[in-house]
Formats: sequence, C-alpha cells, structure tokens
Amino acid sequence: MKEKTVGLIVNPVAGMGGSVGLKGTDGEMHEKALELGAEPVTPGRTREMLAHLERVDEIAFLAAPGRMGARYLEEMGIPATVIGEIGKETSPQDTKQIAEAMVDRGAKLLIFVGGDGTARDITDAVGTSVPVVGVPAGVKVFSAAFALSARAAAEMVDAFVAGTSVTEEEVLDIDEEAFRDDRLASRLYGTLLVPEVRTSLQPAKAASNVSAPAEEVKRDIARFFVETMDPDTLILLGPGTTLRAITDELGLSKTLLGVDAVHGGALVGEDLNEAGILELFEEYDERKIVVTPIGGNGFIFGRGSKQFTPTVIRGVGRENVTVVGTQRKVRALDCLRVDTGDAALDETLSGYMKVIVGYREWMMMEVRC
Amino acid sequence: MLSPPIRLDMNEMPSLPPEHVIAGARRGLSRLNRYVDPEDLARLRALLADYAGVPEGQLVVGPGSDLLLREIVHAFARERTTITVSPTFLPTLETVRAVAARWIGLRLSPPTFTLEPGVLMDALEEPCLVMIDSPNNPTGQVMLDRETVRTVVESGETLLVIDEAYHEFAEESSNSSFVDRVEEYANLAVTRTLDKAFSLAGARVGYAAIGEDFRDAFVGFYGFLPQPSLYAAIEALENPGYARERVRQLVEEREWLREALEDAGARVIPSHTNFLLVRTGVPDIGRRLRDAGVLVSDVSNQLPDGFIRVSIGTHEENDAFLVAFRGIIGEDV
Repeated sequence: MKEKTVGLIVNPVAGMGGSVGLKGTDGEMHEKALELGAEPVTPGRTREMLAHLERVDEIAFLAAPGRMGARYLEEMGIPATVIGEIGKETSPQDTKQIAEAMVDRGAKLLIFVGGDGTARDITDAVGTSVPVVGVPAGVKVFSAAFALSARAAAEMVDAFVAGTSVTEEEVLDIDEEAFRDDRLASRLYGTLLVPEVRTSLQPAKAASNVSAPAEEVKRDIARFFVETMDPDTLILLGPGTTLRAITDELGLSKTLLGVDAVHGGALVGEDLNEAGILELFEEYDERKIVVTPIGGNGFIFGRGSKQFTPTVIRGVGRENVTVVGTQRKVRALDCLRVDTGDAALDETLSGYMKVIVGYREWMMMEVRC
Repeated sequence: MLSPPIRLDMNEMPSLPPEHVIAGARRGLSRLNRYVDPEDLARLRALLADYAGVPEGQLVVGPGSDLLLREIVHAFARERTTITVSPTFLPTLETVRAVAARWIGLRLSPPTFTLEPGVLMDALEEPCLVMIDSPNNPTGQVMLDRETVRTVVESGETLLVIDEAYHEFAEESSNSSFVDRVEEYANLAVTRTLDKAFSLAGARVGYAAIGEDFRDAFVGFYGFLPQPSLYAAIEALENPGYARERVRQLVEEREWLREALEDAGARVIPSHTNFLLVRTGVPDIGRRLRDAGVLVSDVSNQLPDGFIRVSIGTHEENDAFLVAFRGIIGEDV
C-alpha cells in the first residue's frame, strides 16, 4: 500500500572538495575540485540511505532526474516518478525548481543529499512548507537540519512514514571562504522542518526530560524567561527559533533572522540594524540582549553581525547578556564562542556564562574567543 | 542467529567475582523465604565501616548507590537550587531535573573536562544542594580536590554530595576520596558501591557515609538487601584483596586500550575509572559499533556527537571492539 509521497534530490557535486583538501564546492570551487581529481561523495551516501530504508514499500517516490536522484532508485529497483529535467551541468537552480515541483506534485517529505549549500537551496525553495530529511554529504556539514549520517537519515524517513512529529531545525550560512582560511563564520540562514526521531542506544536510560521534544523545551525556556522578565528593560532578541518562542509567549511576532526589540511586553523595534538599536538606546537605559548560540560552532556573537556590533554589545554590558538554548543544542557544543572583531571586547565576554536551558534550568558554559 | 553482542556499555567489571563470593550468594539463596537477619546486616555495616574508614553510625546501606542518591535528591532538592556537573551520571541528573526547585549544570568542556573550582563557587546559591560524581561518569575525570571540598562545605547552607562509585580506580584513590571528611562536616555525604571494583554489579550493594545534616533523608529507610546480595557482599569484604588485584589488572588493560585507540586516530580522555571516553569524527559511531556487534554507551544526550563511553572488558572483548572501531574509522576517512 503506497501511503506517503516522498521526493529525492541529490546534489551530485556536494562534498567533492573533501578528498582533495578543499572546503566546500560552492561557486568555482567545484571546477577546482574536478581538476584535482575529486571523487563524487553523494552516490555512496544516497545508496547507503536507500539501502537502510525499512518502509520503502509504503513510499511513492518522486525523483530528480538521473544522477540527481532517479538513477539510484532505478539501481535498487524502486519505482519512481521523475520530476524535472537537467542538463550536463547541474546547478542550485535545478535543486530549487525540482524541489518546488515535487511539492506541487504532492510530496509530503523531501529527502535531499548534499551539504550546507544544498540545505540553503532547499530552504529557499520550500521553506517550512513540508518536512525534509537531509543526508549529509558535504565536506563538513554544520546545519542542524541534517541527519547524523545516511543511516540515521533512513531512520528519520521511516519515522516520518510511520507518522512522527516534526521539529524546526537551523540551516546555517557558512562562509566557505572563511572556512577555507580555517576561520568559522556562520549565521542563521533559515529553518527547515525535520522529522523527530528520539531513540537511543539505551532506551531505558534515555530520560524523558533530557529528550523532551525540542519545541516543548523552547516553550519552557520562553515561559521562564517571560516570567522573570523585567518590564522596564529594553530587550533585544537575536535571531533564531528559541528567541521566536519568547515572542510567541508574549503574543508578538518575530523576525526569525533579525533582531527585534521588546519593552513592557510590546514590540518597539523590528528587524533592527545597529543604527536602529542605538536609536532605542537613547530612549531606554535598562537594556538586555538575548541570544542563542549558532548550532555546531556555538557562536553567540559572530563577526560581521549587522545588529549586535561591538558598540551595541558594549552599550548593553556583559552582565546584561542572556544566553538561551535547548539542552539538545548546547550539549552538542564544546563551548560558547565570541568573535566580534573587537579583541578587547571578546576578552571581556570570555569566561563562563549561564545559559537558560529549561524552566528554572541553567547551564554554566565556558565562552572562548 | 547473530552471536550475542559484546557489552561494553554499562561500566561493569568483565568477569565474575571469586568463588568464595559466589558461594556467599548461594548461601543467601538458601534463605530466600526469610528477610535478612539483622545481625548479618550489622556484620555488613561493620565490614563496610572498616573498609571505608568511617564510624558505623554514619553509614547507610541500600540496594544500589543510585537509590541512595535518589533518596537525597527527593529529601533536599525540592527546596534548593541543585548543582551538578554536566555531563554526569544520568539517573541522578534525571531525578534532579524532575525534582529540583532550580537546576544549574556546570558544563565540563573538552578537551580536559576539568571542573574549575571558581565556577563551582560562583554558582553556589543559598540554600543549595551540590551533587558531583568524582571520578566523573562519563568523562573519567577527578572533579574535586581537598581545598575545593573544604571551601564548598564551609560556605553557608550548602549540602555537598560526592558520588565515589569509581574511586577505587583513581590513581592515589585515598587522596581523591572524601569519605574521611564526613565525620568532620555535617553537610557532606559520600556515596559508594560494590558494583564496580568488587565485580558485584548484579548484587546491587551501595552505601553512603553521611554527615548529620543528611539524617532526614534516611528516616524510615531500612535498606534491606536481598539475601544473596548480603552474603556475597560480606564474603567480598571479608577478603577484599581480589578487588584490588582486579582493579590493578583493569587499569593495565585500560591503558593498553587507550594507547591502541589513540594509535587508531581517536582522541581518548585519560581516565580514573573502569571506562574510557573516546572522541571520534564519526557522528554516529555508537550506532555503527552496535551494528558491528559491540555495545558501547552513546553519550550523545550529554556531549557532542562522536563521543562514546566504552567500558573496559576482557582482553578478547577489547580486541574485538578495537577491530570494529578501526574498521569504522577507516571506512569513514
């Protein structure tokens, strides 16, 4: 019995830089990777994922053409409807158009194989309209929206087919240029919906409260923050879904990727830049910044932020910076990081900070620069 | 049918206790229709007091040190901010998070996973309950020194509980144990177990040396042990030499495995326990080892992906684990 329509899109060039010492294949780097004799990574990952699917009989597949998907299903004798057309070279445009077409054709889930760049293309194309499963095949994949591995991806697809809940996960905008220079720079690009799989090697030990659904934990954090919030303080809320949970709790809207300001339970600034924030500083003396670390590398203040600049951070003061994050997010970090571009400020922000991780729950985490 | 998996996930000792201990357990089986004899229970308490070097009057015995920790959490955490390290022994953490008025986790950061005394001091709020496992599970690190313990217990209304389940495996374990301070400090309690060094995980014999302030937690707590556990424990403590010898052998094996894992390209955190914390670049390493027939502890609910905690098994088991591990690491390059 076919129940769920699922799309498969493979980015054939993702991950090719790794074997030849490049970091990512964005832009012209793909050609350089080919010149250096790079081997494609995605076929192996795609086959591994498909081989581990247990509920394949309950899936009606839509596939991107040829090496973008259909080839692998055909190899394994899995029937699929091919969507779209591709030329000799494939491009992000192909990924986007095919993803959109699949959703139009009734796909209830998209599986994509690729790296952070592919995740951004999928975000552009479908946003949070349908859940997705990301099979990691990039050189280094940072976005939390990816499964841990091809096998874990198969498990997520099976869980979706069986009917699991979904959670919103981050897609990061990694600056590959910076990554090649061994600097890590990233910002939140958007979010994708991902099936939630909560299993463990030791089910008996997997605590219900340690592994509570991510959205529930975000609501707990938000509820606690709002209960203890000083109504006379100007609160600057950074990007991210955990911060959006706070505005949800207040019954306000949030710019997901930007900075909004709240005072006395009302929005007093939306999608602010540095100038907008400094303008508010003239009106409000009591100020607080609330941020959540970027998944993967833990930056709470990163270089090139157009909002939380060194001037803004100094105008608020370290003691008025509140960090929030789900336990699931912070456990994955070695530490919190700051790189504001102002070495003296980074030094001031270093040390330990209390992160709100739940209702009346904190984690003391080291901040490094 | 697949052969049974190699279990290196529960920090058990790899072999049975000696025959005299098993004979004790059998003796217990022959009295299964009876509750334990109070005199025999008193005998166990005397032996434990002697082994730990604490007055009998300060000892509490119970079926597993985790249950003693649970009693303490339920008695004191509702009214107090409870501080733990993170990562820590999961059952204690779960109880704390379910019960405590407020919880503060002190995050131990890679690569050293040390607890900065200053961070602990800064976190203290009044009144609070501090629960620290030292050596820590899953990092294997000793968390506390004498000076830090003294400062914490002398700071106001703090209750300090130290879980020393693995203390026998720590180098100079007499120096990293704080059981001798319980007489002096009313607000200090130390829990221990025969599960590990004495190879008695299946008997579940835990004990705590408690300062006066902890009495309330154990009012009405009889801590009766099952008959086989009681007599196995008595036998074990009457001739405890085997435990020391097994710890020595295990530490030797642990260091061999640590070097072998490092040679295979893993980062291994030096350990003071009967397990190793291993960091790899393979995010789902635990699952892949399970598929290869080796169970290790997936610590990803407290640490970044790619970490596993592996108990030290027999040499054959450790070898089989290494083969599987090398295969996975090699395949992922």
